[in-house]
Amino acid sequence: MRQEKLILFKRTIAQRKYAFQKTYSKCSQFVRLISSILFLGYIVSCQKEKISIGTNVSDTFYLDNAGASMRILIEGNTLSHTFLIIVHGGPGTGSSFYNTDYISQNIEDKYAVVYWDQRNSGASQGNSNGNNLNLTQMTDDLKKVIQVIKSRYGTDGAVFILGHSFGGLLATSFMTSGNNQSMVKGWIFVDGSHNYPLNDTLTRQMLQTTGQQQIDLNKNADKWSPILTWCNAHPGNFTLAESDQLATFATSAETYMDEVNQFDYLTYIKEHLFSDNLTLTALLFNHLYSENATFNNELAKTEFSSTLYKVIKPTLILFGQYDFICPKGLGDDVFKRISSPQKRMVISTVSGYNFMFQDEGLFCYEVNNFIQQFK
Amino acid sequence: MKIRRFILAMGCIIYSLACFPENKGPDGKVDTSLNLKLSYNSSLIYPGGRLGIEFPVKSFISTRMKKSGKEKELIKDRFIALNLSWYHHPSFHDNLYLTAGWTMRRTRKSGFFTEFSPEMGVSRTFIGGTTYRVDDSGNVSLEKFAGYFYALVSVGGGIGYDFSITHSKPIMVFYKLNLLSMYPYNSTIYLRPAMEIGLTWKLCGIHLTKKWRKT
Repeated sequence: MRQEKLILFKRTIAQRKYAFQKTYSKCSQFVRLISSILFLGYIVSCQKEKISIGTNVSDTFYLDNAGASMRILIEGNTLSHTFLIIVHGGPGTGSSFYNTDYISQNIEDKYAVVYWDQRNSGASQGNSNGNNLNLTQMTDDLKKVIQVIKSRYGTDGAVFILGHSFGGLLATSFMTSGNNQSMVKGWIFVDGSHNYPLNDTLTRQMLQTTGQQQIDLNKNADKWSPILTWCNAHPGNFTLAESDQLATFATSAETYMDEVNQFDYLTYIKEHLFSDNLTLTALLFNHLYSENATFNNELAKTEFSSTLYKVIKPTLILFGQYDFICPKGLGDDVFKRISSPQKRMVISTVSGYNFMFQDEGLFCYEVNNFIQQFK
Repeated sequence: MKIRRFILAMGCIIYSLACFPENKGPDGKVDTSLNLKLSYNSSLIYPGGRLGIEFPVKSFISTRMKKSGKEKELIKDRFIALNLSWYHHPSFHDNLYLTAGWTMRRTRKSGFFTEFSPEMGVSRTFIGGTTYRVDDSGNVSLEKFAGYFYALVSVGGGIGYDFSITHSKPIMVFYKLNLLSMYPYNSTIYLRPAMEIGLTWKLCGIHLTKKWRKT
């Protein structure tokens, strides 16, 4: 009886084992099927080299350098062999904001525009790479972006760089380092900052003078008063926290000016929410990280006024009259100090910090003329 | 080759449909089974897929008294789940991630269920474009299989319907929202919502019989 039970038990175990093996076999078939689909999908979609030459192209590729894979989107007319690299602001904001319909219709039809996401910005990816987030490394990144563009589209291509805000600092670092400027045909400096201590001083001065004028005209007096009080209490030698406070006041101040065409980032995000180019959560977390990264302490002391004499390439300087964040005094400093025989400075009377969005027509006109002249 | 795989897959489904037993046995026991999940794993507008297997750990019936005096019975299942998932975000990355998790499911007599599942695992991204490297001499080269490994934690909740309760069919349909977080993404974290719509097959190969347990 006991032996029969034992046999029955063994048989049951064997049956269960067989059933498990059958199930396992079925599962593994499924896994293989799905894996094949995933693998094929991956092969088709991802990393095949695609170089488009045409009048209306859109190529995405990445530069892997020092722990960061930085996205580079080229849109527009690559047949022109002329490339305008956008060096975005921030640090940490991303280049997709500059990819507006107006720029697509008015610059990309003539030239190729390069939307480069700097390390720890936009759609750029990586692991634990915060130690490489510094201006020297980013300058090296920009150099390598140009080398990749020339490798893809031909060494005879004409490259221009356009730096906005922090991008102005990065572009100045590039232009004044080694022999880098020989790689480009021209430099466009838009509402940029090449000298952070000077930037803070100019922002404070502008807030004081404009604020007082606005109070005298009884325009937004309640909003200007605390700004003036703060500026009077903080005369100079700004800490990073004070510098951030000035930037906050400067951002608000622009919105108090009736003369300015206001630009709303949120509207832009809503319009492009489901665009492949706007990687919203990556953009957000990269921005939060970069904005608070320790290298901002170094940036607060960084200046290139003393080395601007090295710049000999054609330069176009574009500033908004009501830019409190990067006041046009910075443009005056660049204009005065560079050695370029061909230089031009244009002020938009309806713009603040974002010339390219607030006075799109003038921006595209000036940029196109500049490129046409020096390509 | 593809046809062969398709036939095998279909055979597996039909077999499991044919041999599926009653959910509740006459002896008052609850049968739980190994589950195979297949779902469309969309990261909002970006497509993807997910294949998972659920190993039953615990299954019991919970009875609660309603205010009206009626009894409300819920089948509570606990599973260890293994999932292989993928989504494709054009020009950004493809993300292939393997996770293990703890699934808690509450099924009503009507067949509707809710579930919650924390998971953790590893993710490998594949950069969404040709990736270049430039050496110090300025030589440009292509990088193959560019991408990164990340630690991944996910939490998700969903709703669904279990056809085995009312129709004795070993199928469940479900809809689930997951929030993925990857670390260290550019020295910080990366969050991404993902949405699943899928089917679960209750495989008949293994039936673990558990006693009714009233709580």
